Amino acid sequence: MFDLQSPLGLSIIALLLPLLGSLLAALCGGFAPLRKLAHLPVILSFAAAATIAIFVLLQVSHGKETLFLTADLGTWFSVGRLSVPISLHLDPISAIMLAMVTFIATLIAIFSASYMRGDSGYARFFGVMGLFVFSMCLLVMANNIFLLIAGWEGVGLCSYLLVGYYYAKPSAAAAARKAFLVTRLGDVGLILGVFLLWQMGGYHTNIDQLTNHILHHPPSDAALTTALLCLFCGAIGKSAQFPLYVWLPDAMEGPTPVSALIHAATMVTAGVYLLARMSPLFALSPMAQIIVSCIGGITAILAAFIALAQYDLKRVLAYSTVSQLGFMFMALGCGGAIAPSIAVTAAIFHLFTHAFFKALLFLGSGSVMHAMGNVIDVRKFGGLRKVMPITHITFLIGSLALAGFPLLSGFWSKDQIIHALSDAGKSRSIYAMQYFGLFIVACVTALMTAFYTFRVYFLTFWGEEKIPHEAHGHAHESPRAMTYPLIVLAIGAFAVGLVVDPLTHWFGHFVDRAPVLHEADHAYEKASNMAVGSHSFSIEIAAISTVLALAGIGLAAVLYRKGGPEKVPALIQPLFAMSANKLYVDEVYSATIVKPAEVLANGGRQFDGFLDSLARLICYVPRLLAGVLKPLQNGLVQFYALGMILGLAVFLTVVVFRATRTLP
Amino acid sequence: MISLWHFLAIGAVLFSLGLIGFLTRRNFITMFLCAELMLQGVVINLLAFGRYHGTLQGQVFGLFIITVAACEAGLAMAFFLVLYKRAKTLDSSDWQDTREHGLAATLDLEPLKQPVVEEAPTLPVAGLVPEQPEVMMEEPSRV
Repeated sequence: MFDLQSPLGLSIIALLLPLLGSLLAALCGGFAPLRKLAHLPVILSFAAAATIAIFVLLQVSHGKETLFLTADLGTWFSVGRLSVPISLHLDPISAIMLAMVTFIATLIAIFSASYMRGDSGYARFFGVMGLFVFSMCLLVMANNIFLLIAGWEGVGLCSYLLVGYYYAKPSAAAAARKAFLVTRLGDVGLILGVFLLWQMGGYHTNIDQLTNHILHHPPSDAALTTALLCLFCGAIGKSAQFPLYVWLPDAMEGPTPVSALIHAATMVTAGVYLLARMSPLFALSPMAQIIVSCIGGITAILAAFIALAQYDLKRVLAYSTVSQLGFMFMALGCGGAIAPSIAVTAAIFHLFTHAFFKALLFLGSGSVMHAMGNVIDVRKFGGLRKVMPITHITFLIGSLALAGFPLLSGFWSKDQIIHALSDAGKSRSIYAMQYFGLFIVACVTALMTAFYTFRVYFLTFWGEEKIPHEAHGHAHESPRAMTYPLIVLAIGAFAVGLVVDPLTHWFGHFVDRAPVLHEADHAYEKASNMAVGSHSFSIEIAAISTVLALAGIGLAAVLYRKGGPEKVPALIQPLFAMSANKLYVDEVYSATIVKPAEVLANGGRQFDGFLDSLARLICYVPRLLAGVLKPLQNGLVQFYALGMILGLAVFLTVVVFRATRTLP
Repeated sequence: MISLWHFLAIGAVLFSLGLIGFLTRRNFITMFLCAELMLQGVVINLLAFGRYHGTLQGQVFGLFIITVAACEAGLAMAFFLVLYKRAKTLDSSDWQDTREHGLAATLDLEPLKQPVVEEAPTLPVAGLVPEQPEVMMEEPSRV
């Protein structure tokens, strides 16, 4: 079948380990004495999976030829023309994703073993977490589109379970429901898109065969664009893009490590990964690309604007995730105007670095929350840099990376995206104007990102020391099990961007070995008659993003270094209120979608009641008739006998009269 | 000359008497006797027709019915015995339990006159005047 020691075999082991850990943790939940140890199987299996995945990554990372290994492990199901083999694959993108997901999940698991200690659902938490990581790895490694959907839905289910972890709390239950339903809205599009592609792709379900078939037998432009936009709907839901991003900020109701997991490594990156995987097809449809980019741009600037005036530390980070995902989609959409390989590499690179610093920031905010007695409102605490030195330093590194401070990881990846956008804006594509507009949007967003990140940073760690009374007077640095993952992630956030790309160019070269990118470049060359350029570092772009980051940080430092209450000039008061109220998006959705649906549902209920009463009316007729006849059955033998005699008499009378009438 | 019609008339009279008795009497045993009377009226009809046609079929069938009636009598008596043991009454209107649920029981407009039962005379202790028998009241109706 396949060699277990080959890179693919090893990564399949890495895929299955989290599932094993999850099952063991769930079993631990069944035995009270083992319940406190439920974190062990999960942490160990994650760590083993991460080790294997990194080993595989190192093993396959040298060489020049394309890398694509695939294995069929049998058939999942087969119905008519639809045959779904359990087909897994390994290419540079999935190898990087697998290593990143398992590595970050390991750190988050270690952190949460301490963070969640003593919670009543300890085993449940770790069981679901293992399943979550398994689903994400399955999604990443699936070569079959339906297997990918299985992972996709598994991730959705686990996010529902984890966001609704404190299910007794109504707001958490509502947030879980919202997350599930909103992403489900996008999934409808995903399923439609998959079936459209399946039909166009010669009824293949393996992604490589399907892509190949479509590249060699291109369907009509409109049909392909429709199918791709349907797929993109799924990505919009899962990766929290513009119309459907509302679930992600609410998902903060879950425990903080869950937020870190959802925002950094799993779940929200699924949409980006899906589009990267489908990039050869997107290369055929410039219109789909520009729509992807525009949605990304709208999301990025909208979320950044909302993040400006939020007081909830985790909520600011959530909106920053939405905004950064918008960046990734902007980059992915550039494939219509510049070489798709450059666009996709930029997006995946940002995804990779973002995973590190976003996990770091979330775990840091979890550490703050832990010390402050679950208070997360930045107005209620301040000046924590003396109280929590390690959290402070690591949070600062994460913030710098997110803001795009030079030489930190976020700087390099954001720079690649802005560079891609500016190249696209200068290209001969018919959408060059739009791409140039998006370039401006990206710059403004980068400035806003730096500002809001440092706004909450200064409010939390600077100014005079202020500790809420919920902390019960013993605010302290978190235990080592929580600070060590922070330190590891901080090192990653600091150096990973620098090491893997600008210094060694390892990342770019490695990702370039993915056959999907070759196919995408090929399709792009055919479609646009333009040669694929090569990616280069541009000093002007770097200068622009450095200036933007420094300006944002400087502005935040001027306004918030002293901490204290918000001072909003009267001039921008309305803007501030709009941002603080999240642009009233939830209210608009409630008025335009939720309320009419409620009215409709109520109408339906009334109508249902009407139908019920109609049925009851029909039931009443036999009962009424029975009421007339009921007294006849009085239990008296003589009465029955009398009835029989009378019946007999009537019968005989009729017989006799008939007989006499027929007589001559 | 005794014709078929005489036989049939006797049968009809027996049947009608049985019918009237069955409808009007409330004692189980009397009702059962009336039912037997109706049955015998029918048997006479069969015999009459058998004789009229000059065959034995009617008589055979009559014998058959009498046999069945005997079995029926044994069964009915067993039932009455059980019923009497349970409620110490043979009044058929005391057994209305199979009526429609929620329907009120049918009661007599005026209470029945209880029959006077004379105690069977017993031999007095020698040298004493025999006591006058007392009037005994039966148990009140169950209904």
